[in-house]
Amino acid sequence: MKFAGLKSVENAHEESVWAVTWVPATETRPALLLTGSLDETVKLWRPDDMQLERTNTGHCLGVVSVAAHPSGIIAASASLDSFVRVFDVDTNASIATLEAPPSEVWQMQFDPKGTTLAVAGGGSASVKLWDTATWNLIATLSIPRPEGLKPTDKSSSKKFVLSVAWSPDGRRIACGSMDGTISVFDVTRAKFLHHLEGHFMPVRSLVYSPVDPRVLFSASDDTHVHMYDAEGKSLVTAMSGHASWVLSVDASPDGAAITTGSSDRTVKLWDLNMRAAVQSMTNHTDQVWGVSFRPLGGRVVSVSDDKSISLYEYS
Amino acid sequence: MGQLLLAKGEVEQASSAFKIVLEADRDNVPALLGQACVEFNRGRYSDSLELYKRALQVHPSCPGAIRLGIGLCRYKLGQLGKARQAFQRALQLDPENVEALVALAVMDLQANEAAGIRKGMEKMQRAFEIYPYCAMALNYLANHFFFTGQHFLVEQLTETALAVTNHGPTKSHSYYNLARSYHSKGDYEKAGLYYMASVKEINKPHEFIFPYYGLGQVQLKLGDFRSALTNFEKVLEIYPDNCETLKALGHIYVQLGQIEKAQELLRKAAKIDPRDAQAFIDLGELLISSDTGAALDAFKTARTLLKKAGEEVPIEVLNNIGVIHFEKGEFESAHQSFKDALGDGIWLTLLDSKTKPYVIDASASMLQFKDMQLFHRFENDGNHVELPWNKVTVLFNLARLLEQIHDTVAASVLYRLILFKYQDYVDAYLRLAAIAKARNNLQLSIELVNEALKVNGKYPNALSMLGDLELKNDDWVKAKETFRAASDATDGKDSYATLSLLNIHLICLIGFGKGNWNYFAALRNEKRAPKLEATHLEKAKELYTRVIVQHTSNLYAANGAGVVLAEKGQFDVSKDLFTQVQEAASGSVFVQMPDVWINLAHVYFAQGNFALAMKMYQNCLRKFYYNTDAQILLYLARTHYEAEQWQDCKKSLLRAIHLAPSNYTLRFDAGVAMQKFSASTLQKTRRTADEVRSTVAELENAVRVFSHLSAASNLHLHGFDEKKINTHVEYCKHLLDAAKIHREAAEREEQQNRQRQEAARQAALAEEARRKAEEQKKYLEQWRSSTPASKRRERSENDDDEVGHSEKRRRKGGKRRKKDKSSRSHYETEYAEADMMDYREEPEDEDASMNYREPIGQMNDQDDDVEENANDRLAAAGLEDSDVDDEMAPSITAARRRRALSESDDDEPFERQLRDNTDELQDSDGELRENDHKSNGGAALDDD
Repeated sequence: MKFAGLKSVENAHEESVWAVTWVPATETRPALLLTGSLDETVKLWRPDDMQLERTNTGHCLGVVSVAAHPSGIIAASASLDSFVRVFDVDTNASIATLEAPPSEVWQMQFDPKGTTLAVAGGGSASVKLWDTATWNLIATLSIPRPEGLKPTDKSSSKKFVLSVAWSPDGRRIACGSMDGTISVFDVTRAKFLHHLEGHFMPVRSLVYSPVDPRVLFSASDDTHVHMYDAEGKSLVTAMSGHASWVLSVDASPDGAAITTGSSDRTVKLWDLNMRAAVQSMTNHTDQVWGVSFRPLGGRVVSVSDDKSISLYEYS
Repeated sequence: MGQLLLAKGEVEQASSAFKIVLEADRDNVPALLGQACVEFNRGRYSDSLELYKRALQVHPSCPGAIRLGIGLCRYKLGQLGKARQAFQRALQLDPENVEALVALAVMDLQANEAAGIRKGMEKMQRAFEIYPYCAMALNYLANHFFFTGQHFLVEQLTETALAVTNHGPTKSHSYYNLARSYHSKGDYEKAGLYYMASVKEINKPHEFIFPYYGLGQVQLKLGDFRSALTNFEKVLEIYPDNCETLKALGHIYVQLGQIEKAQELLRKAAKIDPRDAQAFIDLGELLISSDTGAALDAFKTARTLLKKAGEEVPIEVLNNIGVIHFEKGEFESAHQSFKDALGDGIWLTLLDSKTKPYVIDASASMLQFKDMQLFHRFENDGNHVELPWNKVTVLFNLARLLEQIHDTVAASVLYRLILFKYQDYVDAYLRLAAIAKARNNLQLSIELVNEALKVNGKYPNALSMLGDLELKNDDWVKAKETFRAASDATDGKDSYATLSLLNIHLICLIGFGKGNWNYFAALRNEKRAPKLEATHLEKAKELYTRVIVQHTSNLYAANGAGVVLAEKGQFDVSKDLFTQVQEAASGSVFVQMPDVWINLAHVYFAQGNFALAMKMYQNCLRKFYYNTDAQILLYLARTHYEAEQWQDCKKSLLRAIHLAPSNYTLRFDAGVAMQKFSASTLQKTRRTADEVRSTVAELENAVRVFSHLSAASNLHLHGFDEKKINTHVEYCKHLLDAAKIHREAAEREEQQNRQRQEAARQAALAEEARRKAEEQKKYLEQWRSSTPASKRRERSENDDDEVGHSEKRRRKGGKRRKKDKSSRSHYETEYAEADMMDYREEPEDEDASMNYREPIGQMNDQDDDVEENANDRLAAAGLEDSDVDDEMAPSITAARRRRALSESDDDEPFERQLRDNTDELQDSDGELRENDHKSNGGAALDDD
């Protein structure tokens, strides 16, 4: 189990790169890479030679999140101005512009079947679900206020939702907040199930294991990665090793490993059998905001505040 | 006659008597013998030998005594073989000749072979049997029994020997034997007395040096370092290369505080015998506090020597090697060393048990750092959880190391293991608390500290930490009390502050200074009269100075003093101070003082050196925070704002938002930055169409940001006043309209430009100028007609706001006022500047700045809800405040000065927060060192 650096693109963007995702291959083309940056652009890259395919503009303020539909045909990008832009990957034709004020937009993810886009709604303390056929808002999964708190209480802002993840069977959504709690929802009944505790600092990234719908990984500012049994409400293990905030986590398609990106400028590979970091990539010179496994496996990409994109071979 | 004199000990007179006889009769045997005896006593052995020989020639059948004399002379002359022959011959002549027997025995003993010693002892015994009162035989026998450990016999024999002899050196030997016997039995008093007696019998130390050494040892044991020093130095005079003596002297010098001298001696010892591991260990322990590099070398040499000799390396040595590596930041080597020190044990299994997970319930996971179930289950699985006491310190250090290399999970397991076996190990509680605190699990952290305080309610480290935690919880009153208690606890200890306590002491001094600093801050909030403030500043300065005087290298105190100086406006002095602290702090792994960098940056900022300030903020952010601190980004943004670098300001704020998404103040500030950018672009006399276009885009963003905030305020997501935001929205929209006109104008201009370029250039330019003037005029008229209304409206809204504002402020009270004040005065300056510019857009500027200022003041609102009510009674003070502020406003210079002051003021609560962290590090530093001291002592003793 190891990473081998393949290629890095320096100055891939004019400013910090904050988001990255793989766009699955279609019948006509192989998988692509989608990156978003503080420079207000979204760029599309061919991962084999890391050549720039196209630059999408149209966002104001920084692009904080990108998501690709499982079909590989459409993708979404979101910026600090709280707009979500849905576009055709190959033509860059705008399909929809989503906003649900005053809800902000942070992490986004399409469900495994591709029928719904889940968006972490920041200060609204909720996850917004958008239908991918009509682009209507179909549900708002709100984190219930703790008992005894008046609705006017300002502490509600602490349930600021930053991250969201679909379970591989599409039945659950987990979302992480600024105060470190993770909330699990039943999607079909649009119902809050329970909290997962253990973090007390912002959870900026969440991902379910692709092979086990119960297993959830969380990345937090407390420098730890937690592995939860999201159904049994239990913390399976806590993994430490990063020197600063863990900003991003992704699970390998085979479910045997996870990778994390951190403010400590490293990308780490974690062996889930050993529950320990087996490798630490130090090629970035600033915070690593995004890491992502290629859905087919074999490749990993990371993006950083140092404006670069790095591609690794995972074997 | 001569014999008589000789027997009486009057050697010279005897000699002259013998000489008279010998002159008369050259071959007078008794005279010859007498003279030989005289010469022998004078130490002229060869002369004595000649005389004996002559006597033998004259009288070949003389008694064995002559041969004995010859033997003794030859012995003294080092002709051991011939001496032995002579003794044996004497013995043949007289088998009962005790002296010859003893002499032979001594020679056998000195041959230093097992067989020789046995033979010698046999002879000695025979001599004893023949004549039980020969002192020399008695002494040697006693010596023998000393080594065989039969102390009773030793005492009896030596007492007999003392009774039968008057001969100085022999008596000295006897006393020495006696002293040694008591010494080895641990009766130092008696041993000392007999050593003294022995020493008294010796004329010159070089004749018989051992009693001095023994005496030195006993005096060292009894704590009489000065006398011990003299005695050891005597030994050293005779044996300048004796390692044991060098080491003993080294120890004494350490005790006497003459470290350099001690080092010199120990270095010499180590040099003389480069295979003496103990010498290197001693040297290492000595150097550890002064020259860690050299200490490390010494320890390493000792380790290699011991390993080569196949001996086990003491845990303390390995621990010390580990600690030094740790301090130098060489974590790999430190890790290895600690592991070597620990050897095999339960910890290995625990650290490798990653394959055997123990699932804990997520609801209980909050307590994960308190959980002991792991070990219970481990025991249930048939494993023995054992932890020898002498390895606890090493284990603790290993855990500290794991923490340092961010393997907190493993570290916490080890700390818990320590606590599982030794519930009173306070430091382990504190480290667990620190880990919990670093993960923001304050509740658990407080619980853990309380556990520690249960063990030792006055443990200053624990109290300081509790104070920090209470501060973090915004529980100021409690924190103040806790810091008080911490400082009280140390003041009590002051009287016997020893080297090992120094670290704890240092930390508590910080706590003390800090506690009082906080106290001072809390006090000031209650009444903010400038006079009082000045008094408090003086007081704070005094406190810091006191701390610095007490411990000159207290960086934290120096930093604090710098803050006070900056607050008093003495920027150059404070800058120097900060720079020094910064340099001093950059040496160690444990001392991390980002606050100094920030303070320095603040000073640069206050002095208007924006470029340097920015650089300083950026470096600090990168060096200490992995670029994750939104607050410093805000400082950076503010610096950009002051330097009128709007885009950089905006980018910094966007980064800050990305880091701290729920901080709506940052969004507000970003909005203001965009608004300001647009306004300043529109103010420019020359601008391109592109510029205006981007201005329009920026204004649209600003409008969007403000309307978002406005909408969010309905949901009470943040503490902004909705009206205020709406004002901004209105203003931006208004500006936007204007900008759109500008854009149209500019675009038209551009187009016309292009058209005219096709025509004659000169004419076109002239025409363009005319048109431009016209446009300008038209716009201005338009502007004039539209502005007053909006202005009036805004004015009234402002008034409303002002009321709400001050009312709110009155309620707010508390510490946030400081921030409020800082930003207020800050922007008041701007207001004043705008005033001076006398530009017509001034009201908007004022509006913007005021709005900008207010939310920053509110920033703490969200956290301070609890305090709000408590501070209601401060309403009166609040009124006073606004008066003060109003007074301040008119004078630009005053405002400027205020701003400068408040910059550093502003950073103070923030800096405190930073200091918390560093403190913690410092804490652990102290712990580590302390442990290190413990292990130096060989036995880990209790902290008390």
